[in-house]
Amino acid sequence: MKVSKGDIFERVFVNEPVVDLQIAQEAGSRVKIVVVNFAPGTNRITIEQLGEGCETEIYALAYLKGEDAVTTETHVKHAVGGGTSNQLIKFVLDDHSRGRFIGDLKIVKDAQQTEAHQTNRNLLLSEEAEMRTQPQLEIYADDVKATHGASTGQLDESALFYMQQRGIDKQKARQLLVNAFMKDVLNTISDEALREQLLNTIDGVVE
Amino acid sequence: MNELLRIENLHASIGGKEILKGVNLVINEGEVHAIMGPNGAGKSTLSAVLTGNPAYEVTAGEVYLRGENLLTMEPEVRARAGVFLSFQYPVEIPGVSMTNFMRTALNAKRAYEGKEPLSAKEFLGLMREKKKMLELPDKLNNRSVNEGFSGGEKKKNEIFQMAMLEPCLAILDETDSGLDIDALRIVAEGVNRLKTPQNASIVITHYQRLLDYIVPDFVHVLADGKIVKTGDKTLALELEEKGYEGLQG
Repeated sequence: MKVSKGDIFERVFVNEPVVDLQIAQEAGSRVKIVVVNFAPGTNRITIEQLGEGCETEIYALAYLKGEDAVTTETHVKHAVGGGTSNQLIKFVLDDHSRGRFIGDLKIVKDAQQTEAHQTNRNLLLSEEAEMRTQPQLEIYADDVKATHGASTGQLDESALFYMQQRGIDKQKARQLLVNAFMKDVLNTISDEALREQLLNTIDGVVE
Repeated sequence: MNELLRIENLHASIGGKEILKGVNLVINEGEVHAIMGPNGAGKSTLSAVLTGNPAYEVTAGEVYLRGENLLTMEPEVRARAGVFLSFQYPVEIPGVSMTNFMRTALNAKRAYEGKEPLSAKEFLGLMREKKKMLELPDKLNNRSVNEGFSGGEKKKNEIFQMAMLEPCLAILDETDSGLDIDALRIVAEGVNRLKTPQNASIVITHYQRLLDYIVPDFVHVLADGKIVKTGDKTLALELEEKGYEGLQG
């Protein structure tokens, strides 16, 4: 699909696999995609900035249990300069679940003055859970600002103990930490009712 | 005078290394005990073991809180029963607001005591009242726990939490470290104001300075995992003058 000059396109996918979303952005357009997975699925998002001054935002959160697996693939291409892209991809993996992030970011030679950020943060709640991160950055322009970061970790034991020392039981403390980890993706959703609904949902999802 | 805490022959280790080598201490209601000693003597280990930090292993000894076996309680149960630790290094918890954190903690304690949870209005009123005492800014409510707080704010925030939870036993672990003189005064005044005839505190410190503000009833010297000397507040002054070297063994 195409997002016309100056238009805004925002779409939130909740537990709905993003089969193969392809978006071409014209100058000055803004695209925001939020993907939330509490169940297995595969997401593939391809966005190309074809005009100047485009804004692209991709936020994805997966919270998985059991044997569930989610793959999220993003392909962002800055074909013209002066645009921005921001990606925050988070996985919370419990039990034997598996997450995979493939992040393909390309800034062509003439796409000067591009600002692109790609961040992948993952939280493993079990020793058997597994995360694979495959960032792929191709930056051919020299006057750009591009950052990339990926990290996978566990719950902060010192934070858990700190909360327990204040009388909060361990399970509730885990829940608060996991919710805190997930919240910033959900907070990007503009639709207040949906955002509140999802924030309430995660209270029930986290065990 | 009612006994609050009894520590008998407490031994504890971390990673197989014995740190506490037989600590004995009795604390009654209304008392302030200072524990001083050189670095590595086991001061922070004692606070960690009393609060149930899973990194430490108790290898021998008993601890009773009002006659109940403290060591078999989960850390959160010890906290609800009234054991509070002002951490030497308060932990930052990004994404968890002070309000949410504090309300969860306070209502957990109230449930343990068989009380109803506080309403949002009552809770916020209490927060406001206690924050004022510590001269903490109002904006604190919406900030994440300790995140981006200065050293002084973190220590004030510990005493603020203590004011909210009203523990029967407060352990202040190096609360003076990293504080300038104004923050030290505010923190100490907060602690003094929270003192009642029914509660007690353990003030762990390396320096005498804090004890100018929080006057202890007893001063104990912990060295190489044992209490090697006990005295009144003059012992702290003596230590300041002569150092710890002459006191060991």
